[in-house]
Amino acid sequence: MFSFELLLDAVVIGVLLGCFYAAVSLGLSISFGLLDVPHVAHPAFLVLASYAVYFLNEHYGVDPLLAGLLITPLFFLFGLVAYRLYYETFEKRGSDAGVRGIAFFFGIAFIIEVLIILLFGVDQRSVTADYVGKAWRLGDMRIPFRLVVAFVVAAALTILLTLYLSRTFMGRAIRAVAQDQEALRLMGANPIRIKQWAFGIATAVLGIAGALLIIVAPVEPTLDRTYIGRTFCVVVMAGLGSMSGTLVAAIILGVAEAIVLTLFGASWAPAISFAMLLGVLAVRPQGLFGRRS
Amino acid sequence: MALSLAIRDLDAGYGAVKALRGVSLHVESGETVALLGTNGNGKSTLMKCVAGLVRPERGSLILTIDGTAHDLAKLSAEAIVDLGVAMVPEGRRLFPKLTVLENLMLGAFRKAARQNIDRNLALAFETFPALKGLQKQLAGTMSGGQQQMLAIARALMSSPRLLLIDEPSVGLSPLLVSQTISKIGELNHNLGLTVLMAEQNFNQTIRIADRGYIIVHGEIVVAADSVDELKGNDIVKRLYLGGIV
Ligand SMILES: Nc1ncnc2c1ncn2[C@@H]1O[C@H](COP(=O)(O)OP(=O)(O)O)[C@@H](O)[C@H]1O
Ligand SMILES: [Mg+2]
Repeated sequence: MFSFELLLDAVVIGVLLGCFYAAVSLGLSISFGLLDVPHVAHPAFLVLASYAVYFLNEHYGVDPLLAGLLITPLFFLFGLVAYRLYYETFEKRGSDAGVRGIAFFFGIAFIIEVLIILLFGVDQRSVTADYVGKAWRLGDMRIPFRLVVAFVVAAALTILLTLYLSRTFMGRAIRAVAQDQEALRLMGANPIRIKQWAFGIATAVLGIAGALLIIVAPVEPTLDRTYIGRTFCVVVMAGLGSMSGTLVAAIILGVAEAIVLTLFGASWAPAISFAMLLGVLAVRPQGLFGRRS
Repeated sequence: MALSLAIRDLDAGYGAVKALRGVSLHVESGETVALLGTNGNGKSTLMKCVAGLVRPERGSLILTIDGTAHDLAKLSAEAIVDLGVAMVPEGRRLFPKLTVLENLMLGAFRKAARQNIDRNLALAFETFPALKGLQKQLAGTMSGGQQQMLAIARALMSSPRLLLIDEPSVGLSPLLVSQTISKIGELNHNLGLTVLMAEQNFNQTIRIADRGYIIVHGEIVVAADSVDELKGNDIVKRLYLGGIV
């Protein structure tokens, strides 16, 4: 039955879960939020990263977080290539490229799913590490250590990306590129190269995020489908392109999911993100922290 | 430091639209040259050709710096910025969701410009003291006059030697137009900037211009060697002083 303790539990778990959602959404906040790329394959990239981490952990005993760091440069390159492919085949052709771009990324997501099934099968996979099964006891509350790891990593990623986007020349250009490409060219910056670089970073972040995904729970090849709703909900709610907004929006989603899970049961949880996404689009399309332009 | 721009027989356009036809024009070191013409006659296209945003179909754009000639038609927009050409585009084209300071910093995006960033930032605030107190404000929330100041200041951040200014008077009140034009005159005087300015406002432009061209339907129809010659020209009288416009 409902009780205050249960609610408090749900809120604490929800905040931690939300930080984890932030970590898996930050990349999309760049690719979709700042660059306007309809990157529906973002969660598929995420799951792919999880399997890469699984592979390193299973066969070489690499710590999952370290494995996440190790694949980051590879994912950066993967992002550069993926954007270039998208640009050459779709974006270059102009205004209606967006809609067809969605088809392109759905195609990529599908290919990744199939690839994972071929390589790893359809069974669930998980990683082993000291912190995966453990929990902290705080009074009556049991806080899974893996969520604390997610919390710390998400906070670090948010701070790093915020600093990068506001303090570096490249970061400022990344925020400017969706606002006015031609003006950016007048500054002597090549918009395509800026976007490609940014997409590389957005994908690189998924290396770490993929490690968190498989640390938090076992993964399966079609897990990306659940995360389309969650990641897009977070990024749209945040107001496109704000990193700190992404963290806050993700925490709101995490708490909402945890409360609904406590009150109504697990089967309702996945619907929350879609409901919130529709709600935000209807009531405040510029997002909670975005400005109307 | 001598610099000159020589444009010869330039054709440019957008697919089937021919925006420039056989345009020839030159700008010498330290001059302020006016490019006058009403809407849709090709002023912006010409400016964009010089900045490397539009590729000409024919003709040459030669920028000579200290005796070395550079063919701008073959260079990227990035390389043209590195040569010391900066443009203040029509409509200002600021990054509205970035702060004033961030807009200025983007003006210094090129590696070479980053080395002089402190000096140029000081120069920008010295030129437009009003911007100093607005550094944290979002560019999109400023008044038209402030935005025009920022657009010019941003262009100064790349240490330009040739400044292209496209219709600085658009959307400003008469008083602000006059102040903006005076400011451009000061930049030319005090910093020795060479200026090519596209404008529709004849009377304001001739206050600071050394000489000028009139462009109609993508062709230069008047090339005047002095402001007096411009004022006395029949086409100018018909277009600007007779009140057709
Ligand atoms: N991006 C574009 N695509 C197609 N036509 C254009 C474009 N920009 C300008 N034009 C056309 O080129 C001609 C010259 O335009 P422009 O150079 O902007 O003139 P001005 O700056 O003197 O107003 C006009 O006929 C205009 O409609
Ligand atoms: Mg124009």
